[in-house]
Amino acid sequence: MAHPLHETAAVSGIGETAYTRGTPKSALALQLEASLAAIADAGLSPRDIDGIVPYFPGGGIAEDFIANLGLPDLKLSLFVPMGGATCVAAIQSAAMAVATGVCNHVLIAVGRTGYSGARVSTRLQQFPQFALAAEFEAPIGMFAPAQLYAQGARRHMDLYGTTARQLAEVAVVTRQHAILNGNVVMNKPLTVEEHHASRMISDPFRLFDCSLESDGGAAIIISRADRARDLKKPLVTIMGVAEGHPESPASIAQRPDLLEFGLVKSAPRAYEMAGVGPKDIDVAEIYDCFTFTVIRQLEILGFCKTGEGGSFVMDGRIGLGGDLPINTHGGLLSQGHVVGLNHAIELTRQLRGEAGRAQVKDAEVGLVTGYGDMGDGSIAILRRAA
Amino acid sequence: MSTAPVAAPVPERPLPTPTRESQPYWDGMREGRFMLQHCAGCGKVRHYPRPVCPHCFSQESSFKEAPQGGAIHTWTVCHHPFNFFFKAAAPYIVALIDMDAGVRVNAQLKGVAEADLAIGKRVKMGFEPVNKEVTLPFFVAE
Repeated sequence: MAHPLHETAAVSGIGETAYTRGTPKSALALQLEASLAAIADAGLSPRDIDGIVPYFPGGGIAEDFIANLGLPDLKLSLFVPMGGATCVAAIQSAAMAVATGVCNHVLIAVGRTGYSGARVSTRLQQFPQFALAAEFEAPIGMFAPAQLYAQGARRHMDLYGTTARQLAEVAVVTRQHAILNGNVVMNKPLTVEEHHASRMISDPFRLFDCSLESDGGAAIIISRADRARDLKKPLVTIMGVAEGHPESPASIAQRPDLLEFGLVKSAPRAYEMAGVGPKDIDVAEIYDCFTFTVIRQLEILGFCKTGEGGSFVMDGRIGLGGDLPINTHGGLLSQGHVVGLNHAIELTRQLRGEAGRAQVKDAEVGLVTGYGDMGDGSIAILRRAA
Repeated sequence: MSTAPVAAPVPERPLPTPTRESQPYWDGMREGRFMLQHCAGCGKVRHYPRPVCPHCFSQESSFKEAPQGGAIHTWTVCHHPFNFFFKAAAPYIVALIDMDAGVRVNAQLKGVAEADLAIGKRVKMGFEPVNKEVTLPFFVAE
C-alpha cells in the first residue's frame, strides 16, 4: 500500500526575489515579496493561504503574514528548527497538513539579509541547537559551520583520499550552472586554480568551498495534489519526503561517526515512500553549504559508495549533460543563500520544464536535500505528473 | 578637542555559561582536573553533561576524574577568525580528540606543526585559566 503522503501533495507555486549582496529591504520584506511571487505563480490569492512555515529565526512569523497578506483564517503555524534542513523538512510538515485536510495551501517562506544584516556566527547565537557549541566550542575558537564541518571533511579526506581538487570541482561546476541562471550573486566563471588560490577559511575549506552570505527571499506553496492539478502551472507532486536527525544532534564532536548525517536515516525512507531509487533520479539539488557537504550527501543518497564521492563528482558527471546534473541553479555556493529553498524552487522548475538554459532534458523525477543544524538531513523526491 | 580616533572596542573572548548540569565539568577545569559525568544506573560515561542517561534513562549521576590523554580523531586549522577575538591567534589548530576515557574533546592543539598532524597522534590535555571562574582545555603532544 502506498504511503499516505505519496503523491497526495504537490508544489503548486514558487517565488524568489533577486539574490544580491546588499539590499535596503528587511528580511521580512524579502520574505513577503517572494511569498507574493509564489502565490501569483500558483494562480492563487493571498487569501487562499491557510498554513505557514516561516524559516526561523530571521524574517517574519505567522503574525506578520496575517498582518501583511490579510490571511483570513490561518489554520496552521509551524516552525521547523533544523537550520539548513528546515526548508525541505518543512515540505514534509506541509504535505502532512494538506494530506490530512487541516490546510489547503501551506506557504513555506524564507527571508534573509545574510549579507547586509547579521552574519552567520551572530545568527547562530539565536539557535538553541547551538547552545552546546556555544558553551564548549566557541570559547576555544570553534563556532562557525565552516569550522565545525571542516573536521568531518578533513577526516573524509584522510580516510578515503578525497582531494581539494575534488572539492574544487563541485565549486566550479556549480558556478557554471549559476551563470546559466541569471538571478545569481556570483556570475563570473570560476577556475580550479582560482579555487585553490582562494584564501583558507578553515582547513580544508577555502573561500570557494563555502556558501555565500547573501540577501534574498524565497517561497514555495504546498497544496493537496488534486487541488494543485487545477492551478496555473504543470503539476509537480511529492513522491517521497522525510527528515532525519543524527546521533548526538547538537554536538558533532560527540557523534560516533562524524560523517553519519541525518540523511542516513531520511534518504531510505524517502526512496521507499517514493517507490524509486538513485538510478531513477534525473536531476538533484543538493544542499551545498560547503563543497564537501555535497560530496558526502551524494554517497549517503546512494549515487556512489562511501568514500567514492570525491571521484564521483569528477569528469563531468555532475554537470549539465552528465549522469547526474546537480545544483543546476548555482546553489548556495553561487546563486544565493536562502537556506536551500532555492534548491526546491529549482527542482520544481526543472520538472515543469521551466529551467531555461539549465534545463535537464526530459527531467521527470528529481530530488532535493536539506542539511544543517550540525547534520540534520531532509529530502524530498518530486515528479512531473503526467 | 582631541581628533584622535576612538579605539575600537577590544573583542572579548566568548566564554562558557555553565549550566546546572555542566558546572562540575567547569569546576574541574579550574582545578586542572578533567571531570566526566557517569551514570549511577549503568555506569556509562557521557559528555557533554545532561540530566538523563540515554542508555538506561537513569536521572542519577556523578562526576569522576578522567585520564587526560587521547589521540587525534580529526582536526581543522582555523584561518578566518569568525570571532575577532581569535584574529591574533589565527591560524590555530582545533583538534578533536578521542579521549582515553571514551568521550571526545575539541580544543586548540598547541606546539604541533600542521605537517605533523595525523589521525591517531597521541596528545594530552592542558589547562589554560582565562579568568577567575573559567579555565579552558587545550592539547599538546604527549
